[in-house]
Amino acid sequence: MSTINFAAREINCKIVYYGPGMCGKTTNLKHVFGRVPEHLRGEMVSLATEDERTLFFDFLPLDLGSVQGFKTRFHLYTVPGQVFYNASRKLILRGVDGIVFVADSAPNRLRANAESMRNLRENLAEHGIDVRDVPIVLQVNKRDLPDALPTEMIRAVLDPKKELTLYEASAAQGVGVFETLKAASRLVLEKLSQNR
Amino acid sequence: MIEPSLALYGEAYARVDQHLEELLEQTGVRYCLLVDRKGFVLSHKEALWAPRPPALDSVATLVASNAAATAALANMLGERTFSEQTHQGDNGTLYVESVGDHALLTLIFDSSVALGKVKVYTRKSIEKVVVILDEIAEMPQPELGDDFSKGAVSLLDDLLG
Repeated sequence: MSTINFAAREINCKIVYYGPGMCGKTTNLKHVFGRVPEHLRGEMVSLATEDERTLFFDFLPLDLGSVQGFKTRFHLYTVPGQVFYNASRKLILRGVDGIVFVADSAPNRLRANAESMRNLRENLAEHGIDVRDVPIVLQVNKRDLPDALPTEMIRAVLDPKKELTLYEASAAQGVGVFETLKAASRLVLEKLSQNR
Repeated sequence: MIEPSLALYGEAYARVDQHLEELLEQTGVRYCLLVDRKGFVLSHKEALWAPRPPALDSVATLVASNAAATAALANMLGERTFSEQTHQGDNGTLYVESVGDHALLTLIFDSSVALGKVKVYTRKSIEKVVVILDEIAEMPQPELGDDFSKGAVSLLDDLLG
């Protein structure tokens, strides 16, 4: 649930980028950081290993502006994708308001995508959250790979009932990054209005 | 969801604010922040003489994440939680103490301030603040209507195209 500070007139929402290792979660955030005007974003904090793999999380605060007198802000997080960092992933999901699931289009990452989605469901359940209660957007990334799997094949594995909004992306080129974030933010805002 | 949403408003906010102000004066610390468990700043105070504060969003996020990781560590060691964390550098100290299950009180100060004194006064403040946060948790939360959603989506269009 979003944190609303009525006295300070602030609303804060937490969006988490989830997905298998090296699928492009941090690249998404870096692109947002690089393209959003400086006065609308805070510092990007990256807790990464020496080879730039996310160790704990990346964090980027983003100011939407003032809505009905409320300064509205999104806090974007990534989780570490590698299987062995599950404790960190679980912690980052605390209080999540919306999720961007980033899938990797490489043929040899299909299983990793599926395992990460299953891991997301399990970790949400451990926080007492039903996966259907959280706004989730599916981003199929690395569409620029020459041997990228068909999007529908990836969706069939991750979202067989076609319940999630899907965006194709090449985060390294900045393609589809904003569209995905916008869709997730929109879902979070709609839920915020409905719940209160 | 497991994480409680905190909505500080009206008189409750003013009371929390007052307690932080008093704590600042009593201890002589530079900055005093009340942060929720998700890493959002609920309230903050700084001494008049303090230099420009660091990015508070980043501080709050890292403090909350650190507290969450420390709590997980506590559980692994058979403790319910570790209620306080102290990070001491050559020149400065960061002291964090749990405010019940809701929030974290964070104080940042230089070497001229005694940690023991900070701990004593912080605990007294926490006793008062935790009562207010408990009261808030039971209050009905004001509603945000469809107009809010429409206004926010319009801003999203401006920001993200």
